[in-house]
Amino acid sequence: MNRRLSLALVGLAVLVGVLFFAFARGFGRDPHEVPFMLKGKPAPDFALTRLDTGEPVTLAQLRGEPVVLNFWASWCGPCKLEHPTLSRAARRHQGDARFYGVVFEDTPENARAFAQPMDPSFPQLVDPHSRMAVDYGVTGVPETYFIDAQGVIREKYVGPLLDEAELTRRLRALSGPRASEAGQ
Amino acid sequence: MTSLLLIALLAQTPHAPQQAGSALLDPAREARVQALGKQLRCPMCQGLSIADSGSSAARAQMDRVRELVVEGKSDEEIRSYFVARYGEWALLEPPAHGFNWLVWLGPGLLLLLGGLFVARMVLRPAPPSPAPSGPPAPSSSGDPYLDAVRAELRK
Repeated sequence: MNRRLSLALVGLAVLVGVLFFAFARGFGRDPHEVPFMLKGKPAPDFALTRLDTGEPVTLAQLRGEPVVLNFWASWCGPCKLEHPTLSRAARRHQGDARFYGVVFEDTPENARAFAQPMDPSFPQLVDPHSRMAVDYGVTGVPETYFIDAQGVIREKYVGPLLDEAELTRRLRALSGPRASEAGQ
Repeated sequence: MTSLLLIALLAQTPHAPQQAGSALLDPAREARVQALGKQLRCPMCQGLSIADSGSSAARAQMDRVRELVVEGKSDEEIRSYFVARYGEWALLEPPAHGFNWLVWLGPGLLLLLGGLFVARMVLRPAPPSPAPSGPPAPSSSGDPYLDAVRAELRK
């Protein structure tokens, strides 16, 4: 009887151990948070056209300067909220970084109707079928990407960027050393 | 009256149609696109595949799957394209390696252990001790009240 009891106890301990391990791994993360794998990776190249002039814009031609990419859509409420912040920041940081807006899952007409009254201080790009957005791992709008002068995605900000100080902090980090190099 | 008011109200809000999805491919290739879409998780939804979701992000990703199929990419290449961007999170079915084995083997293992336990209980020979049948012999518990209750119950 004693042997069976100890066997059962060992079995129970193993089961509890496995469950504890599984839960410890699972509970530490938010299952709704989509991982972002492109952080620290070279930004995928793109060739889009400007919403206003139809001029082509490629990532390659922006190399050498930090780039801020903001994905938005006319049907997205939070995008409307953050737009003035971005517009102001783009004006203030002229020369430090190039700002571009990318229209996500929207028609050029809608995008124009959205952008005109906002009077954005930075150009907007049209992304047919949001091909470039998926290339960049966009999960929804608004999302803002920070790409350094070497064309490496430093980070992305999910949700509306309403705090200009926050934006400035991220912009400054763009010209600083990469996280992987910081320790060297 | 309410419906009229509602119609007037709704008619005023500018309804902006979003960008339409790309055109469907020929049936054979479209079937591949849909099959792949069923395996990929929609980032905006909860436990839905991009083929089953009508959200903008899912539509954008389906369009990308279609493009990759047109470019002649294999199913594995298309899956890894999404894993490279959204991590293994993007796959509705976790690939069987490392920690994920727990998900694949755990249920079967538990079922097997449970089955073994039940089989042991069922196949165990009946205990040799002769089980007394009927109510136990009345015995005086030493408590007159308890005895009275027992006597009453036996009537």
